[in-house]
Amino acid sequence: MKKLLLLAGILFLLSTEWIPAQEDASRYLDPIEKKYSGLRDYTADVNVHFDIEALKAPDMQARLYFKAPDKMKVESKRIFFLPKEGGYFNPSLFKKKDFEMKLLERLAYDGRKAVRLKLTPMDTDTYHKGFVLTIDTDRSLIREIKISPSEGREVKAMIEYGMFANFELPTHIHLQLDMPSDEPGGMKEFTQFGQKPKKITGKVGITYSNYQVNVGLSDEIFKDTDPLKPK
Amino acid sequence: MKLFWFETYKTFSRWRTYISFGFIALIVIMTEVVMKLSASEILDRMMKSFQKDFLIYGNVLNGWFITAFIMNSLHIHIPFFITLVAGDIVSSEATAGTVRLLLIRPPSRSKVITAKYLTTLFYTTGLVIFLALICIAFGLLFFGGGDLIMNYSTKLRIVFIPEAEVPMRMLLAFTAAVWSMTVVASIAFLFSTLAENSIGPIIGTMAVVIVFLVLGNFPFDFFRMLSPYLFTTYMVFWQQFLDDPIPWQEIARSAMILGLHNIGLFSIAFIVFNRKDIKS
Repeated sequence: MKKLLLLAGILFLLSTEWIPAQEDASRYLDPIEKKYSGLRDYTADVNVHFDIEALKAPDMQARLYFKAPDKMKVESKRIFFLPKEGGYFNPSLFKKKDFEMKLLERLAYDGRKAVRLKLTPMDTDTYHKGFVLTIDTDRSLIREIKISPSEGREVKAMIEYGMFANFELPTHIHLQLDMPSDEPGGMKEFTQFGQKPKKITGKVGITYSNYQVNVGLSDEIFKDTDPLKPK
Repeated sequence: MKLFWFETYKTFSRWRTYISFGFIALIVIMTEVVMKLSASEILDRMMKSFQKDFLIYGNVLNGWFITAFIMNSLHIHIPFFITLVAGDIVSSEATAGTVRLLLIRPPSRSKVITAKYLTTLFYTTGLVIFLALICIAFGLLFFGGGDLIMNYSTKLRIVFIPEAEVPMRMLLAFTAAVWSMTVVASIAFLFSTLAENSIGPIIGTMAVVIVFLVLGNFPFDFFRMLSPYLFTTYMVFWQQFLDDPIPWQEIARSAMILGLHNIGLFSIAFIVFNRKDIKS
């Protein structure tokens, strides 16, 4: 009898641990989806500040165009580098149907209620291994995105928001990069043999300003969006 | 001064002097045409390590980048072209049998050898300036302008130089390149004073340059220890003008070491020429 009680106790304790994991984590994304459902497009000036040892560059400026659900274009007269992961705001990036979601924890973020969710792509062939989102549930905002694009790579984006035409849009995205580099293209130099691949690590600060929201951007604008196209 | 212009006139009246200019023009134009045709492939290879993590916009493969790319071949083909004239300038007098005629004239041996050395330096400077002009002119014509991205792939490092700064940086880089090439010219010039034909100095100089380059790049401790004593280690100091921040101290050190090589090599040539026995 004692053994049965002990077993029942253990099962009870385990079941309470399961509760957050089994909770429908996707419900935390619903308010965000609803909040941005009216956002059809936006344009903004972007300033990128690099603090990366492997990339010695001054601040870069460009104009960014976004149209829901996933069209994006950058216009810059000069050379412009934008981090692929977390570099710009796309509210429809995290669709419920594309991910398996799991609630990791509840926490306080900047003095507000928040949750941390783990999103694993349904499509196992995708480049992304998964995301961890920290969502401010009081304001329905994604405050942090931890991205694992592939093995050994990690990007953490912390987002600050401002109010533009009734939408809370990023004013600053602070990125922390930790990415092993691929082997440099072409033949290896003799001195490179035996060397371990180096990492691209550092911080990138992306500031958005001068927003124009829902101006009715035409699809024509997004026709020529190939980055790094030779002249 | 008169002797210098006389030597310069003599050098530039020979058709072989223009071989170098012709080949440089050919190499630059061919390289730029090929790069234009395979621009996408070059860009992919060049930016591969960064393209996975960054969206890159703008004219990366521009005229300034092409110029810097071609400049990287400086230490192989330009020395060869320099030796064609520098290795010939003194020895050709012996080959042609004019050395006695030259040295029984009123100008002293010291003045003759100095004039010849200055002519060698003049030719070397002219050749590098010609390379610069042709690279930049055709580069900007074929590829347009833009910010310069220097990709130090072995160090996995990208340096971004805004377009407004690039012309000044290029001017400094080419000035440094001229300075580097004067050492090659000085070696060939010294060999030319020692030899009685032109082939020896040309082959000898190229052998020294290639052997020193190879030794300096072996990834073994012994050769790494040796590399500070090889002039070829300092010959690429022009690249440092395209770095951020510009390492002025290292540049000054390299320039000084190369300058000391020039003084040493010319001094030996000067002594050898002054003691040269032209009677036998």
